[in-house]
This record gives sequence, structure tokens and C-alpha cells, in this order.
Amino acid sequence: MTLRGLRHSLVARLVGMSLLLLLAVQLAGFAVVRASIERNARAQIARELDTDGRVWQRLLEQKAERLRQGSALLAADYGFRSAVSSGDTQTIESALENHGARIGAAVTALLDTRLAVRAISSPGGGMKQLSATLAQVVPALAAEPAGSQIAVVNGLPHQFVMVPLRAPLVIGWVLMGFPVGQPLAEEMRQLLAVDVAVRVADGQGGFSVPVSTLPEASLKTLRAAGSGVGEIETQRGTLLVRRSALSHLGAPSEALLLRSVDELVAPYRQLQWLLAVITAAGLLLFALGSSAMARRVTTPLRALLVATRLLSKGNYSVPMEHTGRNDEVGDLARSFDHMRLDIARQQSEIRDLAYRDRLTGVPNRERFRGAVMDALRTDPVLGHRLAVLVLDLDRFKHVNDVLGYAFGDRLLQAVAGRLQPMVGEPGDMLARHGGNEFALLLHVTDAQAVLQIAERIARAFETPLHFDDQTVDLSASMGIALWPDHAVDADMLINRAEIAMYGAKKRLAVALLYDPALDSSSAQTLSLLGDLRRAVEQGELRLYLQPKVALQRGAGAAAEALLRWQHPQRGLVPPMEFIPFAEQTGFVRQLTLWVFEQVAMLLAQTLARAADLHISVNLSTRDLLDPELSLRLGAILERYQVSAGSFCLEITESAIMDDPQRAEAMLNRLAQQGFKLSIDDFGTGYSSLAYLKRLPVNELKIDKSFVLGMQSGGGDAQIVRSTIDLAHNLGLTVVAEGVEDAALMERLRAMACDEAQGYHISRPLPAEQFLGWHAGPGAAFVAAP
Amino acid sequence: MTAWSPVGCATNRAMHAGFHTRVAPRALALAFGLSAAVGWCASVQVDVRDGAGQPVSGAVVFLESTEAQRAARPLQGVEMAQEKKQFVPGVLVVTTGTEVHFPNRDAVRHHVYSFSPAKKFELKLYKGTPANPVLFDRPGVVVLGCNIHDQMVGWILVVDTPYFAQSGMPGQPAGQAVLGDVPPGTYQLRTWHPGLPVGAAALAQPLVVGSAALSAEVTLTGLAP
Repeated sequence: MTLRGLRHSLVARLVGMSLLLLLAVQLAGFAVVRASIERNARAQIARELDTDGRVWQRLLEQKAERLRQGSALLAADYGFRSAVSSGDTQTIESALENHGARIGAAVTALLDTRLAVRAISSPGGGMKQLSATLAQVVPALAAEPAGSQIAVVNGLPHQFVMVPLRAPLVIGWVLMGFPVGQPLAEEMRQLLAVDVAVRVADGQGGFSVPVSTLPEASLKTLRAAGSGVGEIETQRGTLLVRRSALSHLGAPSEALLLRSVDELVAPYRQLQWLLAVITAAGLLLFALGSSAMARRVTTPLRALLVATRLLSKGNYSVPMEHTGRNDEVGDLARSFDHMRLDIARQQSEIRDLAYRDRLTGVPNRERFRGAVMDALRTDPVLGHRLAVLVLDLDRFKHVNDVLGYAFGDRLLQAVAGRLQPMVGEPGDMLARHGGNEFALLLHVTDAQAVLQIAERIARAFETPLHFDDQTVDLSASMGIALWPDHAVDADMLINRAEIAMYGAKKRLAVALLYDPALDSSSAQTLSLLGDLRRAVEQGELRLYLQPKVALQRGAGAAAEALLRWQHPQRGLVPPMEFIPFAEQTGFVRQLTLWVFEQVAMLLAQTLARAADLHISVNLSTRDLLDPELSLRLGAILERYQVSAGSFCLEITESAIMDDPQRAEAMLNRLAQQGFKLSIDDFGTGYSSLAYLKRLPVNELKIDKSFVLGMQSGGGDAQIVRSTIDLAHNLGLTVVAEGVEDAALMERLRAMACDEAQGYHISRPLPAEQFLGWHAGPGAAFVAAP
Repeated sequence: MTAWSPVGCATNRAMHAGFHTRVAPRALALAFGLSAAVGWCASVQVDVRDGAGQPVSGAVVFLESTEAQRAARPLQGVEMAQEKKQFVPGVLVVTTGTEVHFPNRDAVRHHVYSFSPAKKFELKLYKGTPANPVLFDRPGVVVLGCNIHDQMVGWILVVDTPYFAQSGMPGQPAGQAVLGDVPPGTYQLRTWHPGLPVGAAALAQPLVVGSAALSAEVTLTGLAP
């Protein structure tokens, strides 16, 4: 997870979830309030409309009463009565018109005592419709003289009242009609702030709205709405409608009382807006607050994340932040810091184990190499030099053999103790470089300074060591190489110091500065290594086999595998020119494997299987010390389906003696795999037969120097004979090398030597020729008695 | 005086007149007519009942005929007073040509008027007795009102006959009216009551009067309660 991802996930989740919950609560509240307001508003409007309806009815009644009173007053007016009693129709009509106008009557009529119309005045006209309306209105009024009736005249509802005309007895009736018109609607509007519309059916299914306090737009909507409508939607919002019937006489008409839900809700809406603003502000504050809180949590988390990355990179020096906090984050940070220190300590222990020689307590070879590399990288001070001094104890193996390993260990510790004072400068280092080899990294100004140090070391070694009762004389060979004089990198620097050391050992000198002359192949080293690699890759190597013959009985065919290099420019390169180099660089391991694999391929051939071949392959020290060796060989056997018993692995005495314990372990493993083991060049080393007896060895190969020496007389023949006898006594077979003539071969046969190998029998042959030789010239040897 | 009725019935008339304490001048006139009286006079008793057979008081019965019209003379000293905001008497029967005084005996002024076709007049706000009496020169029902006091209603029935009476007067059985000293002849017995619809004509029924007393019965329907 990235930092961004962490922040996003945690902060966003914390803040987002809280915000969502808050928002949900607010929205729910908002919705409930809104629905409640709407519901309450409608209920309130319904109640108000109830009241409006009652007030409207009351208003109509009051109006009627007022009209009737006005009419009664008019009817009692003496002048009016005088005019009416004149009997002249025109006079009466004009009196009706005149007096009707006084109180605002739209229709005024005089009826006789039998309710027949005597005269009528209607300034608005429509006399025909009026007569029809009066025919309905008058009987209804006569039945209830104190009441009023509403009927539609000329498309507009009129309120009719009828009062008696007394003189002083009732001599007739005065009927007056008043429009239920705009003024009444306006009055209602002013009184109760309710909108009023009057709707009149036109008798053809439609209706007209002659009176209305609504604005034109709303009125249009109302006209478009059906007759039974309970509410209408206008531009001003929702209007709830209450219908109140006006008349049933003539065309039906009704008053509509309308109240706007929105007007009532408007103040609440403002409140809601305010609430919404407050909610939004609250959400914002909450978001800011909670993200700040979340950041307060995640910032240390991020710091911890950074810190753990540093830890995983191996940087243990940066203390954790936020360890001072008192909360859980602080606990976590402290725990992390504790972990950091623990890991650092453990790491340092591990590093110590990895880079320190446990016996002497000084840095080991790896550490030394790293130190040299570091010094080269960080110390390119002009005029200064880096020197590597390699010191090899002389005769250490002998000391080990004679006085035991424990003594050898103590000796090494003492040597380390004597060398330690020699490295005083910062950055200088003493390391144990190998079994009995020490190396010093020295910062010096020139070669002379190093040589002086070497001299001091030599002097320090002059004093013998005393352990228990033993006194040991120390002597060592030192080789020195300088950077940048002799090398361009650390490996080369160390390598050349070693070469110089070998040079010193060879010349019996105490110390020797590297000289290219010591290392004739050095100029070619790099290119040789590259060439060798190329040789393997491009198939320039050749497998040669030198036949061995059995001297006592006709055993199966045997041979020693040898390596030749067919160089494209230099021709056939002799083994001596590249094998030591390969051993020195470790490349020999690849060469050994190549040879082993070639032999396995050969053995896998049908012809070879038939010939019951036994082939010897040489192993070097490097091979023997490779812990993977047995596995590698096993894998090749597996691949070519050949048995380990067909192989004889030849090891020189010195190869074993380099690291006898590991060598013995490896030999045991190889023997278990089924390989036959042979000691090569026997007699040139220090190994005793007693020691060899411990090893799982099947064969001894007597070095050819002894075999050749038999011809010149002297002790060599005795050595060969006794070696053969001893080997036989130990259950080992004996092979003699360097058999160059028939006489020698006969003598060896007489000495009961088991097998012979040499030019007399055959030179090394290319692998493909070997089987042919075996069937041809070799047959003579096989057939030998 | 020249058109005086040839029939004179002094005793009956006197008796009759005795019920009209305020018609002394008329009694004098009747007494004066005694000298010219010829023949016998009869009295007519009229019982007025409503549709349910109940006696109706306050009805005016009068007999009309050409002779009676001829015999009719304007009454003298007749007044329709206003007392306690009421017309007194409530119903006044006069003959055609009678001049009626309207004395106001209240402290408040009155404005007496009539819109009746038989006599339209008005006596604008006044106190005491207006100087000029009102002449009722056409027969018919005159409804009197006061423009100031709507509850005041009075009737003056102007008849073309001297033979008239009111039913249920004090001392008489309810619903009974007696017309005395009616000369024999053929008459229209007419009956009117203020409860009849305004403008309705008086009920008329023929009646032959001989020399003997007789009684008649009138049923009035359509009376206002």
C-alpha cells in the first residue's frame, strides 16, 4: 500500500463513514420534518378552509341580511312607496331603478301581494333570463321570507332577497338581487387572506369563472382543471380547494376557496433552508474535524510505515517518531522502536558471526574483501596508497600434523595477537584470510612504508611461541600488493598480494612486493579466463583418454580422462598452461564437471557399455571443497543413466591435505554414491598410510617420479615395491604411472602392481579413438598373461 | 239633506245611534228625518263567521242599493284620532263625502298617510288637530298608516250607504252585527274585514229586506289571522 493509498483508505473511510452516517441522520430528519410540515400544512389549510367555508357562508348570510335590511329600509321609504303607489308602470320602474341603485341592487322588482311581477328594473339587461330565474327564486323566497336565495343571472350568481312593501299593510313585495361579485371576493380575501373564485356551470358541461381573486395564470389553471378538483398546481404552488355551493336554482354555481400550501409552508421552507445551510456547515466542520482527527491517527501510521521501510532496508539508526504519545499510537510506536533496537542488535550479532573469524576474533576473508572494496571506493586520496599484505605461515600443516589441531588453533590465535598491533591507522584491518593465511589492509604513502611494516612483522615473529612445554619457531612468508600501482580492483589487489606471497615462499624470502615477473601469466590472466569460458561455451575443449592396462589378470578396459584445449589461435594448449590457472581462479570446477559429463556421455554409448569401461577423472582441491560436488556428479549420472561404479575419482594427496576434515567428509559421501576413489601422485605428499587407511579409498596411484626412478636403480624400486605391498595389505589396488617401456612394465608386474599406465602402453588418445585402440593395439596388452 | 232616505225608523235608529256615542250629529239628522219617514223599517241581524264556523268580530257589514246610495249623507264631526300611537278607532266606517278630522292626542308627532286608491293623502308631521279635515269622497277601503310609526294601522271604510254596522261590538254577541231601521228593499249585503287581503273587495251577497226583522249569516274566508 502506498502512502496515498493508506491515507485514502483510512482517512476516507473514517471520515466518509462518519459523514455518511451524519448525512443519513440529517436527511432522515430533514425528510421527516419536511413531510411533517407538508402534512401539518395541509391539515392546517384544511382547518383554515373549514373556517373559511363557515366564514364565507356567514359572510353571505350577513350580506343577505344587510341587503334585506337595506331593502326593507328602501321598501319603507315614503318616497319609494309614493312612487310605487302611483300606479304608473314607468314611474314605478324608474323608482325601482333609482332606489335599487341606492343600495347597489342589480335587480329590483315589485311584486304584488300574489307575488306576480308588477314591475322590474334590471340595469344589466337580460330581462328574458331574469324572468325565468325569478320564476324560480320568488316562490322559494316567499316560502322563507326572512331568507335569501342565490341564483345565476347573466352568468353571475346573484343573491336575492324579498321584503314586503307596507303601506302600512303589505301591499306588495320588493325583490332585490345583488351580485355575488368581485367586491365580495375581495372582501373575503382581505378578511381571511383566502383566495376566492366563483364558478358557474354553463349548462354544457363546462363552466366559467366570472369572479376570482386569483392571478390570471392560476385562473387559467383553474379553468383547465376538472369540476371535482381538490387541489390545483399553479405557478404559485399547490392550491388546496374547498368548494362551497352557492346556488341550485338555475345554473349550479359554487364558490371555491383556495389556499396555497406553499405560502403557508414558505416560512418553514426558509427555516428548512437555514437548517440545510446549518447542516452543510456542520458537515463541513465535521469533515474537517474528523479528517484532522483521522490525520492525527494516520500521520503517525505513515511515519511508522516509513520507519518500517527503513527497517526493511536495514537502516536501524533512525529512531521512531511519536514514541512520546500517550495513546495507542504511542504504544505502537514504542513497540516498533523496541523492535528496531532488537533487530539492530540481532543484526549486528549476525553480521559479527558472518564477518568475523571465530577462532581468532579478527575479521574473516569476506569482511576483509568488503573492507578493501570500501577503502578503494571511499579512499581515493591523491598520493596515498592502499596496501594488502598477505601472510602465510610456513610449515603450519606440519605443526598441525605433529602437535594437533588444538595446538594449531592456539598458534593461529597467537599469530593474530602479534599481528594486531601492526594495524594502527584508521581503516586498517587484520583478517584471517584462510587456514594459515592472514591479510592486512594498510593505508600507506608508499611501498617503503609497507616494507617497513613487513619488517616489523618479521621481527615480531622472531620470538618463539611457548605453549605448555612446546616451543614453536614462527616463520611466515609475506606478499604485498599496492593500489593503484599493482591492481585496479580489490580482488586483483588481494590476488596479487597472494602471488607475491607465493613468490616469497618460493624464493624463501620473508616479504616480497608484487612484481609482474612473479606472475608470468598475469598479463594474460583476464584474457585467459575469458578464453577459458569461451572454450567451454564454444566446444574448444577436448576429452582425451590414456588407457590403463591390468598387469595381473585380464580385467575390463580402463583409462584416465585428460583435458586438452584446442585453442583457435594457439593450437593445442598443454594442460600445464591452463590447469593451474583454472585451479587458482576456481574455474577448474567447471572444467572438472565438463570432463565428468563428457566421460558420462562416452560411457552411455552402447559400445562403451559393452566394453565395461572404467574411467578415472581427476578432482582438484577446489572440487573437493565444493559442498555441492556429490550432488552435481549425481545429477550428471542421473542424466546419462550411467553408474557411479564406472568412475574412479583421482585426488592428489595435497588436495586432501588442504582441508582434511572437509575433504574426508566429501570423500565419504562420494564413496557412498558408489564412486571408486584413488589417491593420485601417491608418495609426493606428507600423508601417511595410516591416515589414508581412514579414507574410503580403493586405489593408490604411485607417482611417476618413483616409477621412472626404478630404471636408474637406487631406492625407488624399494619404495615402489614396499608401497605396493603396503597398499595390498590395506586392501588397495595399485596403479603405476609413467610406464615407458616393456621392461619397466614387466618389473612392475613382477612386483604385483595391479595396473599400469604410460607411453609404453599408449599416449593419451582423443576419446573417439580410444574405443578403436582398445579393440586394436590395446588388445595386445589386455591379452597379456 | 234633499236626498234623504224616504224610510224613517226613529226608534230603531235611536237605538242604533245609541251605540255610536260619537255620532250625535247624525242622530240629530236621523231625528230630523223622522218627519219625512214613511212606512215600516226592519232590523237586520248579521252573524259573521269564518271558514271554520267561528264567529268573527270586527267585521263591517253594510247594505248597498241604489236607494241606499241615495239615502246616504256625509257624516259630520267624525274623527280618526291617534292615541298612544294607535289609530282610534281602528276601523272607521264613514259615508262618502264625509270629512274626517285626525286629532293627534299623543305627545309625538305623526305623519298620517294613505296610498289607498279610494283616498290618497298625507298629513305631514303634525301635532294637535290639523286645521283641515280630510274629505273621503269615494267609497272604498282606505288604509291609514303613520310614516313615523310603522306599527300604526287604521282603516277607514268609505261606504255609499247609511246602513252599516260592525260585528262583535261591546254588548253584542261575538260575530254579530245588527243593522236597524233598514227600509225594505233589495240590497247587497256586503261584508269586509281588515283581515281580508289588501285591496280585496268586500264580500257581497244579495239580501231582500222586508218589513220584518231578519237575520243573515256571512262566512268570511281568507282572513289573515
